Parts: sequence; structure tokens; C-alpha cells
Amino acid sequence: MAYLLLLPAFVFFVVFKFGAVLYLIPLSLEDWRLGSTTRAFVGLGNYRKLLVSTEFWNALTNTIVYTVAVGVLSIALGLVLALAVRRSGRLQGIYQAVFFLPVAATMSAMAVVWRFIFDTNIGVLNAMARAWGLSPLSWLQDDRLAMGAVVLIGVWSNMGYAMVLFLAGLTTISRDLYEAAAIDGASAPQQFRAITWPLLSPVTLFVVIILTLRAVQAFDSIKVLTNGGPLGATQVLSHLLFQVGFQYFDTGFASTISVVFFLLLAGVTLLQMRVERRVHYQ
Amino acid sequence: MNRTAHPARRWRTVSAVAGAGALHLCILVMAALTLFPFLWMAATSIKPPEEIFRPGLHLVPSTVTWANYVTAVQKVPLSRFLLNGVIVAGGVLVLQLLTVIPAAFAFARLEFRGRGLLFGLVLAALVVPGYVTSVPNFLLLSDLRLTNTYWALILPFVGSAFGIFLMRQFFRQIPGEILDAALIDGCGTGRLLWHVLLPLVRPAIAAFSVFSVVTHWNDFFWPLIAIQSAHLYTPPAGIAYFADADGGANWGAVMAATVIIVSPLLVMFIMARRQFIESLAHISVKG
Repeated sequence: MAYLLLLPAFVFFVVFKFGAVLYLIPLSLEDWRLGSTTRAFVGLGNYRKLLVSTEFWNALTNTIVYTVAVGVLSIALGLVLALAVRRSGRLQGIYQAVFFLPVAATMSAMAVVWRFIFDTNIGVLNAMARAWGLSPLSWLQDDRLAMGAVVLIGVWSNMGYAMVLFLAGLTTISRDLYEAAAIDGASAPQQFRAITWPLLSPVTLFVVIILTLRAVQAFDSIKVLTNGGPLGATQVLSHLLFQVGFQYFDTGFASTISVVFFLLLAGVTLLQMRVERRVHYQ
Repeated sequence: MNRTAHPARRWRTVSAVAGAGALHLCILVMAALTLFPFLWMAATSIKPPEEIFRPGLHLVPSTVTWANYVTAVQKVPLSRFLLNGVIVAGGVLVLQLLTVIPAAFAFARLEFRGRGLLFGLVLAALVVPGYVTSVPNFLLLSDLRLTNTYWALILPFVGSAFGIFLMRQFFRQIPGEILDAALIDGCGTGRLLWHVLLPLVRPAIAAFSVFSVVTHWNDFFWPLIAIQSAHLYTPPAGIAYFADADGGANWGAVMAATVIIVSPLLVMFIMARRQFIESLAHISVKG
């Protein structure tokens, strides 16, 4: 009886999750372009190709830079917003909704709006720069600025997420602790250091994990705004996988990238689970 | 009560008020910045071309025009994109609920051999990201001649590890006496699930539904891969395709189309803010 109840869900898991991941292994050992009739077993050839591929290393570096930047900024702003919004009384619900709006909004559509905002010729950012006598910048065409632009969008779409999680964590801290600290004459920064930050640490870790996984997998804004450019400045692993697999149709190499991407994500998850065990209430 | 405040305490009150004021100002500025893309999109969509090209920051249009919306609706199959979105997100959700609920019930309430192992597999499926399975799933669906159909957008997402995980928590919270009473009354498992348990887990179904619909409505990566004809695009792929095809020649119409594309979710979000925030941030799951 139990197995019958599990069967429908497991059919889909086996086919589209486990089967797919397992099928990646033989695929990653082949030289095969989709549509071509020749498929050749090349052993670890694709992995060797990956190790010397400047495109891959560039995408990996950019993924790490993007993830760390978006993660750190979103978490810092999310925490500050949570602490501030919590004290805003009746407006708390409205502020929560405002900051969470980008999380729920359709990212690819909002990325189109951002592309308009960043547009070199008629974008509002450059329009304001000109109005203030500054020289306009090619935000998305300049390889020194493009990463900053996509990070900004990443922070915009993630800080509300971090804020909501921190707010949920803050409600679990007893008000009595703050009252006791206030009676003992502890200032607000002292209270934050002695009560909020240590008691919030499990939540902080949870936020770090969730936001890292979200940022590592960012795709929509980069596809719409830069296509990984200019000159690979915003090329990340998810977008490289998309290009290699579904624009160049290099199925074998795309599978290799997928395997490495999967190991990387699994590694991050395991690392964070180990860290999690060491974090405890002080 | 002593009404003459101590100077130090009065200073503390003044700084507290100033601090609170500064705090409110900071949040207000951040809120304005966060909302800016939404406001700019809406404002541009009702501006005539000469105002769109006017330099400087002019949020409020001096002349309001609906021409951009007319152009957008004529040039872009917006209603088709929205219909595709409803079919795909709705199809995914219905099939997910049909597979997730029985599985979650079995994990939460039934004793059987290999339960731990099978649940471990569900947890493993939870950490497999969609990108990683995209190449094999595309190959499978094209072998089945299902690419460029709605099925290609629905089938890979039916098995939801997250759904099983969430529902299982809820099923476990139901007191055993309710189940025993129903079984003693001669209730079969099917009827038990449908008439007794389903009403009890309705909040979990609501939470999961919001999460699922938002996720699959917003998904951009997979439709780009699995669909080749623009008329089958869901809203995210449709709007990006149109913005690319337009090439920035008519931002007014592009912004009008974007407003139409993002509106359904935004309206639902505003109507059910609490539910959306809790479902999407999985706040209820952690409890």
C-alpha cells in the first residue's frame, strides 16, 4: 500500500532527477554535438578540456565573485533592514511587502526594466548623470562596470528575502533579554553584540546557505542584461552551461560542466552543513 | 511620578527621537530605491515617446497616453503568453499535488521497509538543481518528441521533493487519534486521505501552491531550452524574447508589455502578502 502511494512521485524522480544525473556521467565522457550523427567515447577528454578552458575558469571566478558580493551585501542590508523594519510599528507589514516585492516579481521581466534603466543612451541612470554634469557610462557594455550592475540587481532581488528570514528569527528572541540589558545600562550596539547577534547566529547561517544557493544559480538577470558579456565579464556557470549546451549544442562538454556544477553545489551544501554543526547558542 | 527629567535622560530621549527619525528616513529611502524599477516601468509605459527620450529624472509623466499599451497588445501575443503561463503553472501544480500528497502521507503515517532510505532519496532530489538535469532532460524529451510542447514544460517538475518534505511535516502533526477513529469507523485509506486528512492539511496545500505557482510561472531558463516557437513561451521567456526582438527601439511599448506580464503575480502578491512571504521564504517549514 505504502509503495503504491510513493510510486507516482518516484517515477518522476527516477526519470527526471536521478536518471538524469546518472545519465550525465556517460554523456560527459562523449564527444557529441546534438544533431550530429557521430558520437565518440573520449574518456576524460572533456574534463581535460574543461581544466584548460579559460571560459570555464572565467565563469567559475565570476560565479564566486558574484555569489560572494550578492551574498554579503544582501545579508548585511537584509539584517539592517530587519532591525529597522521591526521598530517601524504599524508600517512593518507594508515595509516587509515592499522589500519582498522583487523576490516575488518575474525576474526576467524586471531585468528588461533594469536594462532600460542602465541603457547608455536613454537610460535614467545616465540621464541623471548628464543632468548633474557627470559623463554618462556604458553600464552594460563596459567590462569593468557590468559585473557591478548585475550584482546590484542581485542585491535588489535578494535583500528582501534575507530581511524576511531575519525578521522571523528576531521574533524568537525574548524581549525580556533586551529589557534586562537595558536595566543594566547596555547601549543599543552593546545589546546587538551581546544578545541579537549570538542568538541570531543559527538564522544567519540558514540565510547564508539559502542566499549562496540562490546566487550561485542566478541566470535570468544575466541572460537578459548582458548574455554573459561584455567579453565574458559577467559569464557565470549557469549561463555558460546554457550557451554550451543549448546554443553551441556541445552536449558532451555541457554535461561535463553540469557534473562539475553539481559537485560544486554539493560541496557548498556539505561544507555549510559541517559549519552548521559547530554553530551553537552562546 | 517625577516629571522633571534628569538632563542625561532628557538627552537620551532627544537622541532616541532623532535616531528613530533617522531610522525611518533610511527605511523610506531604501523602500523608494527598491520600488523604483516598478515605478519607472509603470511611468514609462504611459509616457509618449518625446517624454521617454527627455533627459533627467521625470517620474510623473506630464501627458498620459495609453498608446504604448495598444502597440504592445498589437505587436506581442501577450494574452497567449499569459495563457501559456496559466496552463503550465496550473498543470505542474495539479500533477504535483496528485503525486506529492500520497507520497507525503506514506512517509508521515505508514510503516514500511526502506522508508528511511526512500526518504533519503527525496532529500537527495531536493538538492539537485534544475540546471544540472537540463541536458539529459532535454535529450529525453526530444527522444519522446515532446520538446516544443506544454508537456516539456510540465513533466520535469512534477516530482517535487520540496512538496513531499513540506506536506510530510503537516501530516505528522495530525493527532493519531483522528486517524484511528476514522479507521475504526471503517474508512478506507483513499477516503481517509480525501475526506479526513485533506481538509486538515489545507494550509500546507495553500503554502505549497503559492510556492509552486510562483516558481514555475517565473521560470525563465527551462522554457528558453525546451521551447522553440515563441507562441508557446511562458510570460518570462515571452517578454525577454519581445524585448530582444524590439532591440530598444520602442521602450514605451516594451514597458507596457512588461507591466502586463508582471501584473498577475504582483496583484496576487499584494492581495495575499503574508501567504506569499511565508511560502516563498519557507518560514512555516522551519517551525
